Amino acid sequence: MKQMLALLRREFWENKGAFRTTPIAIGGICIAVMLMAIFTTIHIDNELYTFKQAMRLLAQQPAETRAVHLRSVMMGISIVFTVVMSFVVFFYLLGALYDDRKDRSILFWKSMPGSDVQTVASKLLSAMVVVPLVFWSILIITQVLLAVTAAIMVFSVGENPWTLFLSVLNPLEAWFIVLLSYLAASIWFLPFFGWLLLVSAFAPRIPLLFAVIPPVVVALLQLWIDFLRTFTFNHSLFGIIGEWVANSPVIISIQSGDGQEELALGIPYTSTFDHAPTVLNILDRLFSLQMAGGLAVAAVFLAGAVWLRRRATDG
Amino acid sequence: MNSIISARGLSKRFGRTLAVDHIDLDVPEGRIVGLIGPNGAGKTTIMKAILGLTPFEGDLEVLGLNPSTHRSKLMENVCFIADVAVLPRWIRVWQLIELTGQLHARFSKETCLKYLARTKISQQHKVKQLSKGMVAQLHLALVMAIDVKLLVLDEPTLGLDIIYRKQFYSSLLNDYFDEQKTILITTHQVEEIEHILTDLIFINNGKVALDCGMDEVENNYLELMAAPANAAAARQLGPLNERELFGRHIFLYHGVKRELLEELGELRTPSVADLFVATMSGEQS
Repeated sequence: MKQMLALLRREFWENKGAFRTTPIAIGGICIAVMLMAIFTTIHIDNELYTFKQAMRLLAQQPAETRAVHLRSVMMGISIVFTVVMSFVVFFYLLGALYDDRKDRSILFWKSMPGSDVQTVASKLLSAMVVVPLVFWSILIITQVLLAVTAAIMVFSVGENPWTLFLSVLNPLEAWFIVLLSYLAASIWFLPFFGWLLLVSAFAPRIPLLFAVIPPVVVALLQLWIDFLRTFTFNHSLFGIIGEWVANSPVIISIQSGDGQEELALGIPYTSTFDHAPTVLNILDRLFSLQMAGGLAVAAVFLAGAVWLRRRATDG
Repeated sequence: MNSIISARGLSKRFGRTLAVDHIDLDVPEGRIVGLIGPNGAGKTTIMKAILGLTPFEGDLEVLGLNPSTHRSKLMENVCFIADVAVLPRWIRVWQLIELTGQLHARFSKETCLKYLARTKISQQHKVKQLSKGMVAQLHLALVMAIDVKLLVLDEPTLGLDIIYRKQFYSSLLNDYFDEQKTILITTHQVEEIEHILTDLIFINNGKVALDCGMDEVENNYLELMAAPANAAAARQLGPLNERELFGRHIFLYHGVKRELLEELGELRTPSVADLFVATMSGEQS
């Protein structure tokens, strides 16, 4: 346990830029963009769209409508964090078992007690738990700062920020859903994580190519064979990967339902799962047949990564 | 006598070449063993096998464990410097000390800081800011602060200045080493370690060319500096090797009686380097 914590700390120290500085930068950009938007609105002197006017109009909406909008706004901001986080995790895992082989520091790490299973587990846990928790925490801080900034702006144009939006906010529920969706996505995307770690443990150089080329080749062959047999392009690895992302339990898109736009889990072009961002829908994905298959695939990839890591030296 | 390393028929193949060729080895507890051989002799491969860093053929036990299947357990009692400058470049010195302390139960932070105090390394430094020699100093300070049964050092002082090298070997012998510890060391700077070694193993072409204690070297090997007139007589006694220096002939003998040689010229115990050269050239011819 103590060793695992030490290994997780090591990952955090090594990847501080990606794990911590990146989400802080996004938070900063979010706040800057909001300020710019508000100042732009104030600057453009249009009767209808001045900030003051807009706030007055908003105040006339029923509290329920405001609550729904605010929930969407809060979760919508998380999409920015989610997308950047997926890049961070992707490149982190790709380098996780490669970088120390390249700079030969693997020889130092292997001179410490601790199994290769622990090493691989520490990388996987960093991607599955540490990164989402850090991004989520900074997302919350960003949202609090956004709310404070907005409250000051609202107050300065003579509206009451408390009655206007603070009192109708339900931040805990929104934050909980986002956190749950992040952790659920970590499990959902385990086959992807496993693949990246496998490539990272295997690639003699440029892991990115080794990660991308095999699936592309397989998918193209599948498409070609499919075309020869049936003159259609029906099933291929591309389709499976696409569907997997579309079914993911994390808010990344917008769907229209009941005449209004709302945020959606995954991308609502598939109908295997309900895409509304609720706790039940998130759990539904985790206890699905697809998930079971995905876990089996992930287990194979991860076992391969451990096997390769055990044999890896600087050579 | 506890055997720390015991190998029977240890082999390692790279493609068609046999880098290590059916080696038998026994290293008892409380020894400082020099593993010496020319480039490409197979020293590093043997060390990697001992440390569980490479698969091998044959039987090998280190501290009673098979290194390839029990590497993690083995590393609780073994420490190594496989090569200089392999410390992670991104890490800060204090982070490295902190991590080593958490990962290794036998690490003493005070001892490490004591060794670091002799250097110009600050705890705030990142490894990538240090010079090659300082990285080696840092690695040695870490390793000397870990109390293990077997320490394996592969060219540990490469890139270090002579003052620090001398200092390192003297603290290795005086502060670190004791009867319960075993140190296995390779280096090309043989003359610097010969006074601390208790045993010698020469490796050539993947085979053990010589395996003996330093006391045996002193008792059984003699170097004769013969005047040119005595050279023919000296040759008759079957030297391992002959070389010429300033017109005098220098012969190396194994197991030839001192009395026989004394008449032919000056005698002395050969240095490890001379013994090495003689053994290797004997092997080659």
